[in-house]
Amino acid sequence: MARKIKNYIGGQWVESSAKTYTPVTNPATCEVLAECPESTYEDVDRAVQAAQEGFEEWRRTPVLNRAQYMHHFKNLLEERFEDIARIMVQENGKTIDEARGEVRRGIESVDFAMGVPFLMRADGVEDISSGIDEYTIRQPVGVFAAITPFNFPMMVPLWFLPTAITCGNTYIVKPSPQTPLSMELVYELLDELDLPEGVVNLVHGGKDAAMAVMEHPGIKGVSFVGSSPVAKLVYETCTRNGKRVQAQGGAKNYIAVMPDADMEASVKNIMGAAYGCAGQRCLAAAVVVGVGDAYDKLRAELVKQARNLRVGYGLNEGTQMGTVISGAAKERIENMIKRGEQEGAKVALDGRGKTVEGFEDGNFVGPTILEDVTPDMTVAKEEIFGPVLSLMKAPDFDSAVDVINRSHYGNAASIFTSNGKYAREFQYRVQAGNIGVNIGVAAPSASFPFGGQKDSFLGDLHGQGEDSIDFFTDRKIVIERWI
Amino acid sequence: MSSLNTFGAILTYAIELESQLRDYYQAAGHSDRAREADKRRAKLERVRRETVLEITLEAIDGLEAGNYSLNTADTSSEGQKAVEATAARFYADVAPKINVREAQRALERAGREHAELV
Repeated sequence: MARKIKNYIGGQWVESSAKTYTPVTNPATCEVLAECPESTYEDVDRAVQAAQEGFEEWRRTPVLNRAQYMHHFKNLLEERFEDIARIMVQENGKTIDEARGEVRRGIESVDFAMGVPFLMRADGVEDISSGIDEYTIRQPVGVFAAITPFNFPMMVPLWFLPTAITCGNTYIVKPSPQTPLSMELVYELLDELDLPEGVVNLVHGGKDAAMAVMEHPGIKGVSFVGSSPVAKLVYETCTRNGKRVQAQGGAKNYIAVMPDADMEASVKNIMGAAYGCAGQRCLAAAVVVGVGDAYDKLRAELVKQARNLRVGYGLNEGTQMGTVISGAAKERIENMIKRGEQEGAKVALDGRGKTVEGFEDGNFVGPTILEDVTPDMTVAKEEIFGPVLSLMKAPDFDSAVDVINRSHYGNAASIFTSNGKYAREFQYRVQAGNIGVNIGVAAPSASFPFGGQKDSFLGDLHGQGEDSIDFFTDRKIVIERWI
Repeated sequence: MSSLNTFGAILTYAIELESQLRDYYQAAGHSDRAREADKRRAKLERVRRETVLEITLEAIDGLEAGNYSLNTADTSSEGQKAVEATAARFYADVAPKINVREAQRALERAGREHAELV
């Protein structure tokens, strides 16, 4: 029988009060790795109480001391780098290099948090009136929480937790029940830091735990990453309950390829953008628009390269693309491919029915390319979240921009071109928060905010970068006179 | 034979090769060379951790792990030259195929160190 994983509350590993546990399954081997509790409101309440108690001591800890914990945390993450990556492959299905890349990105967020002593500085003016000085200070707010997805189970929580606690807040992470094990290992490392009790807490679970986080009056702010319908629910519920919220939703990311693009370099980049993490990324390339003459060369080269991708088990070093997260995801993706066919798209490369020797029950979907896709088709409009790339034609640059802007999503968009004018026009006009120029995955690094527009982001302050300092602190104005 | 077709496959093979060399030289009583091999192993692990974000999905062709097996049974002077020659040949073949400059530099340097011992 697989072990039951525990929550981490008030500096202790504790059993959940859950009555139900869900299996955590390796999507390639179908091995049950652990059982994840469906934690309840009671568990979340315990965590909030611990975090509230921890806040009183923690916010009085000097910021330089708080930042020192991040230095130690980074060292522990580097030491256990490979272990974290391997656990992620087993619970998520991505390749080992993708998992290593994720760990590196997570550590970058810890690096950013080390700069909080500088980033929390505020400002002031002497003699705003005679003998009266006025200045601002930034203060931590209290208990924050994150509801995080399966696709980047280690990186996404670290977009928020390190900065939040270095600013003086305390924190609760509610990971995806499909991929809780990497965060369990990260919390083992946090436990080694000997932070004051209650500074960091971990509550495993699904919908009940998430609703508890959104509704609990003791939580001051929530960060969410997931699908757009759930982002909307999170945003509405949290704001109704008086919380700060930043909710990153889904995406349908377009790439425009101009006739003057370096086709060989472009296709290499687009391959990674479309099929990295088996397409299960909010920054994945979903639709490639070949503009004018670009289409035919692009189509031929994409099909050729995608056909040669090695699909397999992520722990095998030579694997270039792993599984999708579950049998349900595989079925949904394959149904979307079928829907595309029904609506008139042609399947230029068919990833359905993919099997891998030795892993016959694994949740594999091979690289898929749909061509002759038009903007009104479901596969052009709705997020598939799998290794399916749609090819579309546009007669010119303006048509390409128009079709991109019709999307109700606005997460990312990229252009491949050697012409600066097209690049500048693209970034100026396209309604997406993360823009790539000759870059297929426009992933902001930790010191920049993670952009997002329309249904891809709800809130005022984005995750990462200086936005996160504003999200995790409150500005207090002091007007001072000494008589 | 397993193919060294990704960044991770090449770096992992290099790390394992240096681990084998460390153990080989320890068994041969050559502690200086064992220490140097372990230093290279640690550096390559660090390079694998720190540069993985710059890799692309494009496959690397033409490298098979079986072509670089070390004969660790022979710790004679001739045997040591042979393992160093294999290691040098490995690094000379893989370094040009890695498209991350920092990782390439580390592989080139390891290759030079082995070539000096042939």
